[in-house]
Amino acid sequence: MDTILNAENLVYSYEDAPEPSLNGLTLSIPEGSRVALMGENGSGKSTFFLCCNGIFKPQKGRLAFRGVPFSYDRRSLLELRRQVGIVFQNPDVQLFSASVYEDISFGLLNLGLSETEAAERVGRVMEELEITPFRDRPVHALSGGQKKQVSLAGILVMEPALLILDEPFASLDARHKERMKQQIYRLSDSGRTVLTATHDPDFALEWADRVILLKKGRTLAQGEAAAILSSRRLLEEAGLPAPSVLPLFETLKRKGILAEHLPLPRSLAALERCLH
Amino acid sequence: MPSIDSICHASRLRNVNAAVKFWFSILTLALCVAGRSVCISLLVLLVNSLLITARSGLAWKRYGKLLAAPLTFLLLATAAIVISISRRPLSAFAIPAGSWYVTAGWDSLAYGGRLMLTALACVSCLYFLSVTTPVTDILGVLESLRCPRLFLELMLLIYRYIFLLLSLASVLTAAQQSRLGNRDFRTSLRSFGALGQALFVQSIVRSRLSWQAMESRCYQGQVNVLHPKQPVKKSQVLLTALFELLLLALVIIRRCQLWILF
Repeated sequence: MDTILNAENLVYSYEDAPEPSLNGLTLSIPEGSRVALMGENGSGKSTFFLCCNGIFKPQKGRLAFRGVPFSYDRRSLLELRRQVGIVFQNPDVQLFSASVYEDISFGLLNLGLSETEAAERVGRVMEELEITPFRDRPVHALSGGQKKQVSLAGILVMEPALLILDEPFASLDARHKERMKQQIYRLSDSGRTVLTATHDPDFALEWADRVILLKKGRTLAQGEAAAILSSRRLLEEAGLPAPSVLPLFETLKRKGILAEHLPLPRSLAALERCLH
Repeated sequence: MPSIDSICHASRLRNVNAAVKFWFSILTLALCVAGRSVCISLLVLLVNSLLITARSGLAWKRYGKLLAAPLTFLLLATAAIVISISRRPLSAFAIPAGSWYVTAGWDSLAYGGRLMLTALACVSCLYFLSVTTPVTDILGVLESLRCPRLFLELMLLIYRYIFLLLSLASVLTAAQQSRLGNRDFRTSLRSFGALGQALFVQSIVRSRLSWQAMESRCYQGQVNVLHPKQPVKKSQVLLTALFELLLLALVIIRRCQLWILF
């Protein structure tokens, strides 16, 4: 499988910070995969994302998109940002136009699309995410969950090859979280690569192909989701809670109810199916 | 009271072509100022008030409250112009105060009344525009009139951030009051200062994050967005044109009469 993004030994420090935010980060993202990036607050996830689309230039290390090293001149950056889209954690940061329709169209017109083409794409994305009912509403009159939908729409409309979601479930209620989950599942349908930063090990286990654990600006581990998330040692070192399936699965194996060689089921429902 | 912004999004005239509303408002305003007569001002005030309440759907009470603020200001300002302090009592009334009089003449009262009505009519023109047309539509019209882009973008961003800062300020104020920040006058002053400082710092942080988000969406120095299409109805254009011509005729009659008197 081809690699869509490759990071080698990235080092990035914020001004006046005692320690670098990224401290020799190395990872790779296969094309078309679903990757969950996990780690405690301050482990460098958001900083890494901003390096991925060229907003931050790492002080050391190398980044490559589809094998081509990043170059930081104006035109290359525009092309990179067309291919790599980031949906920020706080939608208020991203949404600035007066109405929903206008905000979603912002990226498209910057890319030089004609008005008719842009209008058509915006309409399509709004239908997909089911936000057409509030297309004319001002952005500040939306609820938190609706703002998240609109910020996702604004990036989707640019049709990036690599879509990065920075903690998509932050501040969402159960209903919106479920809706967002369904949408994230559909996102990888067209072969798009989706990279999500999340604190939810259950979601990561169920959805992701690969999991990358970060700690203090470095990669702690990267590999297949079930393998990484079933290792108690790794979870503890990364400071992450275990997925809900894990304790029950371990107990069932210990009691001999389930065979030793079985791989970790990806959800409680899957565990239930194992038992039948 | 809910903001004018939420009022204009609920207005029944919201989807009327913004340029028609804009020109109606501006031309009426200009003719009202040019006329400077009681009957023109009354006509304009009546038409605008009817449009705002009956046609656009704003409740009378709310409209009254909206007018109250400029009206208060106008009353005070006109009083300052009209009433004078002099040794001689003038025709309308005179209140003795020592060896001086607080007094006003009929002519200056008439002048003051005319001035106030004209100003109120002009305010109603602007209220018509702001109560039926969201800021972004107005900016769209200004853009088609070749207004400098920098000016328009600043207006858009300021408009958006007013709401953000207002909500941030209300959240911070609630947090302060929950911790007894308004216990007494001195504490309140200190809390207010802290609020101002927090807002300032938050604005800088927020503007940096916003810039990063805009750059991520390929911002190249100009805010380009799609505007929804608003079809122009011929009947509206016709009615507007007729009304403006009527006003123009009234203004000319008024001015010509003045000339004849001379």
